[in-house]
Amino acid sequence: MFYRESGDFKTSYIQDQQIFPIGLDRWFVAVVCVFAVLVVPFLINDYWEKSVLVPVLVWSMAAIGLNILTGYCGQVSLGTGGFMAVGAYASYKLTTMFPELNMFLVVLLSGGVTALVGIVFGLPSLRIKGFYLAVATLASQFFLVWLFNKVPWFYNYSASGQISAPERFVFGIAVSGPNAPPWATYLFCLVFVVVFAFIAKNLTRGRIGRSWMAIRDMDIAAEIIGVPPLRTKLSAFAISSFYIGISGALFFLVYLGAVEPTEAFGIDKSFLVLFMIIIGGLGSILGSFIGAAFMFLMPVLFKNIMVGGLGWPTDLVAHLIFILIGGLIMFFLIVEPHGLAQLWRVTKEKLRLWPFPH
Amino acid sequence: MSAEVKKGDTLLEVRNISLSFGGVKALQDISFDIRKGEIRAIIGPNGAGKSSMLNVINGFYHPQDGEILFEGAVRDHMKPHQVARLGIARTFQNIALFKGMTTLDNLMTGRMIRMRTNLFWQALWKGPAEREEVEHRKRVEHIIDFLKIQSIRKTPVGRLPYGLQKRVELGRALAADSKLLLLDEPMAGMNLEEKQDMCRFVLDVNDEFGTTIALIEHDMGVVMDISDRVVVLDYGRKLADGTPGEVRDNQAVIDAYLGVSHA
Repeated sequence: MFYRESGDFKTSYIQDQQIFPIGLDRWFVAVVCVFAVLVVPFLINDYWEKSVLVPVLVWSMAAIGLNILTGYCGQVSLGTGGFMAVGAYASYKLTTMFPELNMFLVVLLSGGVTALVGIVFGLPSLRIKGFYLAVATLASQFFLVWLFNKVPWFYNYSASGQISAPERFVFGIAVSGPNAPPWATYLFCLVFVVVFAFIAKNLTRGRIGRSWMAIRDMDIAAEIIGVPPLRTKLSAFAISSFYIGISGALFFLVYLGAVEPTEAFGIDKSFLVLFMIIIGGLGSILGSFIGAAFMFLMPVLFKNIMVGGLGWPTDLVAHLIFILIGGLIMFFLIVEPHGLAQLWRVTKEKLRLWPFPH
Repeated sequence: MSAEVKKGDTLLEVRNISLSFGGVKALQDISFDIRKGEIRAIIGPNGAGKSSMLNVINGFYHPQDGEILFEGAVRDHMKPHQVARLGIARTFQNIALFKGMTTLDNLMTGRMIRMRTNLFWQALWKGPAEREEVEHRKRVEHIIDFLKIQSIRKTPVGRLPYGLQKRVELGRALAADSKLLLLDEPMAGMNLEEKQDMCRFVLDVNDEFGTTIALIEHDMGVVMDISDRVVVLDYGRKLADGTPGEVRDNQAVIDAYLGVSHA
């Protein structure tokens, strides 16, 4: 079998602590990254950009963010849509107030602003746990969306109450606004997602990640070995919101272009991201990607097959998709309650021994 | 902070501790000390207040009266994670491991208080963060060797059998390199063989690492065998304090355990 770890000997702790301890995994990830950066931009067209690649990248970013909070630190949150809105409005305000500001900086700062807001809304987590915390975070969802509707300063007093992304350039190439070429917006999102996925991986396997997981698995024991609960939970809220803020900024600047808060950042978005990480796998960075791709691409795939391939009427297909997606979610959760990432892990363990059962 | 505490000196002293929950008096005027390098047992019938006593030492409960001195300095109103930083580690009566994490990660979490690289280096996993990780990994591997749990290093602890989980929990407490180790019924629910193993580990920890140990245990054979001094609690009061021999012959202790006729 090609996929194996035998012969892959570790002779130092550094080797043993790599992100991808198995040689083949390392090669696979490297090839995917190189392909995504060097090949895809030449093949990409408007359809692939707007319907597949950019939204999947943006939702992956949001899913990683929520996974840090819910999957690693065990704090359920239904405020994702609200935090994405904070990222979007922060990026809008920054880029309209300082038009010369570098776009990378705009997106990072939007993440920073969202992190601060996340800390504030994370404060109740010290006292409230589980479902009750989820309900408490609903407050942030509704309050933030209400705020962006209510206070005209946030949408620069525009008549429609909408915000729309101005045209901004990176190295002389537009990455936002209507004239941005597909490959540029794609690469812009890709850079953020790849860099921050690796950072998330590093954070979750080190001291900070272990303290999050300790709080998640047994908060009393975590406290007794010296994990300060308030600081740990708030750090999870901050970093998670940072990721979600970046995804919100990209969602607005690069993907949608024009945004109306109730529509774009409603409670359904919070649920969507939560379902992504549950389907993909709680406590897994890979799972965030798989979940985002599953929840977003399955409807697109079914639609292409049924409308494009079989020529069925659109309204029938739209309803069939709901049934099929719902059925698939149930199927996968029954097969593997710990998500698709766990399914992949189990498959890998089986592959190691293949063709022998034990 | 006081000077280095030498073997045989008092490491921890509790003075006149009283703790009550509403009308229930869990602890009443308890005083005893734990000397450096000894194995100190806390025994007593169910509901005597033994676990409450550990929770007071850990900072989970704050007593209404009395004070606690650690290394000669009075310590008041600390949170559990601050107590951990002083050098007090603990295992629980019902296993309190991080079930989703591997044995290795559980032990590495035990070294939390000794790790200090900041978020920036953690995010990059280079330079100081990597060095720190390797340095602590070495220490953790030493403990893994000591407890003979090499084969389950990368197994999520939720999958391990009970006896091994108890051992991993001891490992996690050891990983902190604490001065004082509190063990809450380390042998509860074990068979004879597992108990013997655990006794040996407790004695070896005391011997090799020089860790002071305070343990709660119901198995009198074990208590009498391995502890240097025993304190007996009953209904929140201290009944006796002394060497195992003294305690065994104490009439109040015999009455508490066997009952006394009121005829």
